[in-house]
Amino acid sequence: MVAGLGEFTLRTGDGFGKPVLDESNGEELMHVQPSVAVVLGNRPVESPGTLYITSRKLIWLSDVDMAKGYAVDFLSISLHAVSRDPEAYSSPCIYTQIEVVEDEDDESDTESTEVLDLSKIREMRLVPSDSSQLDTLFDVFCEGAELNPEPVEEEEGESGHNWVFNADQMDVIGGVEEDAEWSISQSPTSVIGHSNGDEGLAQPMLELQINDQRFEDAEEMVHDSETKNH
Amino acid sequence: MLFFSYFKDLVGQEVTVELKNDLAIRGTLHSVDQYLNIKLENTRVVDQDKYPHMLSVRNCFIRGSVVRYVQLPPDGVDVDLLHDAARREARGG
Repeated sequence: MVAGLGEFTLRTGDGFGKPVLDESNGEELMHVQPSVAVVLGNRPVESPGTLYITSRKLIWLSDVDMAKGYAVDFLSISLHAVSRDPEAYSSPCIYTQIEVVEDEDDESDTESTEVLDLSKIREMRLVPSDSSQLDTLFDVFCEGAELNPEPVEEEEGESGHNWVFNADQMDVIGGVEEDAEWSISQSPTSVIGHSNGDEGLAQPMLELQINDQRFEDAEEMVHDSETKNH
Repeated sequence: MLFFSYFKDLVGQEVTVELKNDLAIRGTLHSVDQYLNIKLENTRVVDQDKYPHMLSVRNCFIRGSVVRYVQLPPDGVDVDLLHDAARREARGG
């Protein structure tokens, strides 16, 4: 796994020149978009090419230069957006920002056209010749990003990905506890001493509240004195 | 999962997301997921001189792991509620 943008030259030898994926590790091809130009940073646009979106990364392969290709892991893509503003770029495109590992010794111009260090590229635009495909591409990018969260030790909610579009949507895995907590917090004005059903904890905590004001947050003391009279 | 729940309630409000690379983006919170990936609509860059390339994009997806801050509307935050909920979560309750 490469951090940031890198070269990608592994193509299948069957003449079609598709990218070789890491299928043994579950990498799958999600979408192919032909006729896409790529713009790395401030460099001149490169085309024609084909964009391959896999479950792990973005791959752009030149249609004319079989040795030219770029790839970036979704893990390194900080944000992506549909850019239709002609002031930002002449053609509608997908704008992406790539997370770059800062090198303390690096003083050179990161956008220099002399020596191309792909790992220092921070912005990449993908310009499909068919701009009606932009929204589809944006959605596939979202899917790819969602499939690649930061690797964590343990995850609570594994069963599917749940986007919430409005506050009414509360049917999320792992969200059940959260709902209960929000509704509880509406009633008691001071939550210190109130535990979620573990009565064994309640008594000693209540005593703490009454007898040990030094355990309160400084600002809480003001609020508590106001709300205790409720 | 506390802040996932919290951001759910903020959907539809104007927020400013500041990334770890110092870029600040303002927009309407469209949706948020369990990894705190954020989708914003009607976005514009806060400091346009510094980041001219982005300007205004209609919608953008921000990876949760690159967010440094999410700046909230002052009346969109009940600080006491958040305090209490965070304290409970820290206790594992």
